[in-house]
Amino acid sequence: MATVVRMPEVLANTGEAIIQTWLVSVGQQISIGDPIAEIETEKAVVEYAAEVEGVLASLIAEPGTTIAVGEPIAVVAAPGEDSADLDPASTTDVAERNPETSVTAGSPRDPESAAPVIETVTDAPVNTNGHRLFATPLVRKIARERGIDLESLAGTGPGGRIVRRDLDRLPLSRPETSPSSTAAPPVEAPAAAPSAAAASGYSDIPLTGMRKAIARRLTESKTTVPHFYVTADCRVDALLELRRSVNAAGTTKVSVNDFVIKAVAGAMLEVPEANAIWNTDSIRRFDGVDIAVAVAVEGGLLTPVLRGVETMSVSAVSAQVADVAARARTGKIKQQELEGGSFSVSNLGMYGVNAFSAILNPPHSGILAVGAAAQKPVVLDGELAVGTVMTVTLSADHRVIDGAVAARWMAAFVGRIENPLTILI
Amino acid sequence: MPTESRLETGSPWIELATTEEDWKAADPVLLGTMLAELHLIRAFEETVLELAGEGLVHGPAHSSIGQEGGAVGSIVGLRSSDAVNGSHRGHHQFLAKALTHVAGGVIDPAAPITPKIQRVLQRTLAEILGLAQGYCRGRGGSMHLQWFEAGALGTNAIVGGGVPMGAGNAWAQKHSDTTDLTISYFGDGSSQIGSVLETMNLAAAWRLPFCFFIENNLYAVSTRVDEITADPRLSVRGQGFGIPGWRVDGMDPLAVHLATEQAAERMRSGQGPAVIEAEVYRFFHQNGPYPGSAFGYRDKTEESQWRSRDPLDRTAAEMIKLGHIDEDGVAALRKQCQQAMAEAVSHLLEPDPGTEGKRRIRPDLWPDPGFVNVGVRGDASELDSLEVLEPTSYQGNWRDTRFVAAVAAVMDRRMATDERIVVFGEDVHRLGGGTNGATKGLAKYGEHRLVGTPISENAFTGLGGGLALDGRFVPVVEFMYPDFMWVAADQVFNQIGKARHMFGGDNPVPFVLRTKVAMGSGYGSQHLMDPAGIFATSPGWRIVAPSTAADYVGLMNAALALQDPVLVIEHVDLYPIADKVPDVELDYIIPPGRAAIRRAGADVTVISYLSMVARCAEAIEQTGVDAELIDLRWLDRASLDWETIEASVRKTNAVLIVEQGARGSSYGGWLADEIQRRLFDWLDQPVERVSGEEASPSISKVLERAAIAGTEEIVAGLERVRVGMGQR
Repeated sequence: MATVVRMPEVLANTGEAIIQTWLVSVGQQISIGDPIAEIETEKAVVEYAAEVEGVLASLIAEPGTTIAVGEPIAVVAAPGEDSADLDPASTTDVAERNPETSVTAGSPRDPESAAPVIETVTDAPVNTNGHRLFATPLVRKIARERGIDLESLAGTGPGGRIVRRDLDRLPLSRPETSPSSTAAPPVEAPAAAPSAAAASGYSDIPLTGMRKAIARRLTESKTTVPHFYVTADCRVDALLELRRSVNAAGTTKVSVNDFVIKAVAGAMLEVPEANAIWNTDSIRRFDGVDIAVAVAVEGGLLTPVLRGVETMSVSAVSAQVADVAARARTGKIKQQELEGGSFSVSNLGMYGVNAFSAILNPPHSGILAVGAAAQKPVVLDGELAVGTVMTVTLSADHRVIDGAVAARWMAAFVGRIENPLTILI
Repeated sequence: MPTESRLETGSPWIELATTEEDWKAADPVLLGTMLAELHLIRAFEETVLELAGEGLVHGPAHSSIGQEGGAVGSIVGLRSSDAVNGSHRGHHQFLAKALTHVAGGVIDPAAPITPKIQRVLQRTLAEILGLAQGYCRGRGGSMHLQWFEAGALGTNAIVGGGVPMGAGNAWAQKHSDTTDLTISYFGDGSSQIGSVLETMNLAAAWRLPFCFFIENNLYAVSTRVDEITADPRLSVRGQGFGIPGWRVDGMDPLAVHLATEQAAERMRSGQGPAVIEAEVYRFFHQNGPYPGSAFGYRDKTEESQWRSRDPLDRTAAEMIKLGHIDEDGVAALRKQCQQAMAEAVSHLLEPDPGTEGKRRIRPDLWPDPGFVNVGVRGDASELDSLEVLEPTSYQGNWRDTRFVAAVAAVMDRRMATDERIVVFGEDVHRLGGGTNGATKGLAKYGEHRLVGTPISENAFTGLGGGLALDGRFVPVVEFMYPDFMWVAADQVFNQIGKARHMFGGDNPVPFVLRTKVAMGSGYGSQHLMDPAGIFATSPGWRIVAPSTAADYVGLMNAALALQDPVLVIEHVDLYPIADKVPDVELDYIIPPGRAAIRRAGADVTVISYLSMVARCAEAIEQTGVDAELIDLRWLDRASLDWETIEASVRKTNAVLIVEQGARGSSYGGWLADEIQRRLFDWLDQPVERVSGEEASPSISKVLERAAIAGTEEIVAGLERVRVGMGQR
């Protein structure tokens, strides 16, 4: 029996994705685990591996078009099946067989609703990017009557559906219009200055999925998560000395950032209250320390997560960072490597940035912005001296981490950086 | 050695055959009438097969050619107030009854065609062709022929399905102080089915003037009778029930007549039912113009042997022998009958302008397609003159009562004021008011008005249906548990629910079915359904589901006054509740289309009924959701209060439908469908539902609770609605 392959939910809370490239062609034999497509999500370009084996019967999704999660993208014929006479009705469904890849898993109480519900509705409101806009029938009716552009609204109903309350929040400034109205036509906005006068030209760069994801997620983070900031200067002379010795002794080179990541993990063990995230109706505190590392890639950034950093050696951290950064830049990162964690590290020191503050990367409750290590005047025992100083700024989610916790965490972190042997132990 | 003595059933079982003396003694007028009816029916059936061969009969044409002797012999002596019904092969019975009725029991074979007879032939043929001038306006066709005026109760396409209803007619005849009787015709294929055997038991127990007339034509379609039963002498069926049996040659109409006279004497004198088995033979296949041998299940030799005993020839030969008629007279009779049919056909068909040499139905004779739903139920205008009292706005005094006492009290009041009301059910006459006290105090109306039944729901429900069609009584049938409706499903859904519409839409079916939902009582998977969903999605039924004693009174009074079948759903949880009713005579009604708003609110319309209304109120209280709670009262498609529902949803933009029972057969599905269709633009979230689980409730207390919906599940439903509302 043939199988319909549907757009997987490659990123939590992602409703759509783009097939960037098909890695297979029709007629090709595929096995479970074979990469079949590069899928550009809002956040990453990831390889999608086959979940069924067989012969690729057809490719439904055009590369470059946005496809809703759950929509068919390809059909795989079972081994030995003639792909020429496939009946769409006789196909099974990867999304059904693998509910974790489906966005529409029903509640156990309600088996009837377990079937995928995403449908193509040709006459439904569609936004300019071709994405389905979810709004209730009542909202559409009111929007028609009041002339409201639903695209400008964020829905607070299930799955981001625009509901009546989202309209109730809008000011009622717009006059109700009716087709039979005899009122004067609306006054036009003052004409724009003649374009020839001055304005320089511009070009609109289409948004990539990643750019949209960054825009959406960071806007959401900055506007809905109560950020506060704690800044500290760290003396890193000892750390740099240790690094030199380590690098001199070992075959792999470790970076200051690798030590920073390890120090973050150590601080988390010392202040476990900080190793937690906001979980809507609870605070989830983690046993291990998973840390995301911001990696600049073309067109944006990715934050692959290192797992169990508290158990890793510095050199292991270094090797893993190098690996995920390289794969992130080449689009080979896997979706699950982008998920989870409680904390991020963002280091702009290599660009000579002295200090900065970062926006929390949901669902993390902390992000450490690391500046460059630079020689600065320091006061030591009342004497002015030259020391190497690195400024770090912790952005914290106040829902999870209070000021005192952040301060204790920062002290734990600085203590490790300034006594780097504790990092190696 | 044990001693053995042979036991006897005590019921006579005889084979009756005529002698020369019988033919000599027979009234020549009777014989002439029989011969005329035989020829009229034969000519009629030949015409039907001719039209079927031209593709002009939509659906099957079950020919009775060869079997006329059984119907004519048994019907020719009946009164118009005697009644018959039959099964799918019923043209001959219907015609014999209708012809005997319009002719006053006498037809002259020399001049058989009177205007009345011509009209019977044309209207019957029109009905079989599905035309508006037919007895059932073309709805019934070949298999549902009904003409009450003539005592033709309606033929039936469910084998054996008409038998319980026929017994209901006999019950009405018996208890209306008449000596009339009812004959129900069925075949060898029906002689094993439960509704027939259950009805034999019932008719014998209650000594009904009812004849089980078995037309044994040896084949159920292609299956021979001796393949499917050990004793193919089907008149033996009555022996186990205390019913005497007659076996008679159905190819000898006089023999059938004499057997029927003997049986009728017994029936008319109050001794109870009879079984008559007439051995007959259909000359053609189950339907259509080909002999059975063409289909290989019987051979031409057998067919030619039976054809040589053609009842028309037998009757004619005996009459010629006695000098009542000559061969020319018989030929003239046949010719007149054929001409009468040609005349009838000429009014119904015309040359097909599209195909030379072909005929077609005259286009203006078809029913109007707009007639499709007319008469599924009545228009409830019978309630117009009754006093309406709305308990939610009643300002007078109240009196305290337990809910179940109000159930019994309103029935008591109605039985006191309306002698037509009769109550049937298991144990309703004992235990101080049945198993729950719902019929308490009704025994004073006598055993003929409060009738304890055998455990045979199909038969006593169908018997009630026959009473409803007859109209002299208003039956109230109780199912001790709702799940028993499956046992009686044919009578409930195929017969009672469809009868009015199927037979033309005019004849009312005033029938009240009471039952109680018992979820929570531990009676397990086969006793604890809520029947509302199944009835709401089946045609013909109205449904009430009262949540208060005051509503019960008004809804039961409306149910008893309506000329439609009404299901009254009760709940064991409500029975013991200390409640109140208006301190008036319990005569008021709450008419269809009157829901009650139990709580006004702005955020969500919660729709429920029966015991779940109170649960909803609790859940609303607990969650603090500003819900509007609608108690439906009337649940069926025609009686639902759409005005109240629509006004509420336009205000709240959200709906939660709440019921207790299992999801599969639940009520809310169709209602949710209607709501999204009618109110799509007013909905701000999907129609939410609370129901039980997929499984039927188990006996284990824990599993039973898990299977049904309660306050906690409604709270969860309200929380889903709250999420659906988005954020302020």
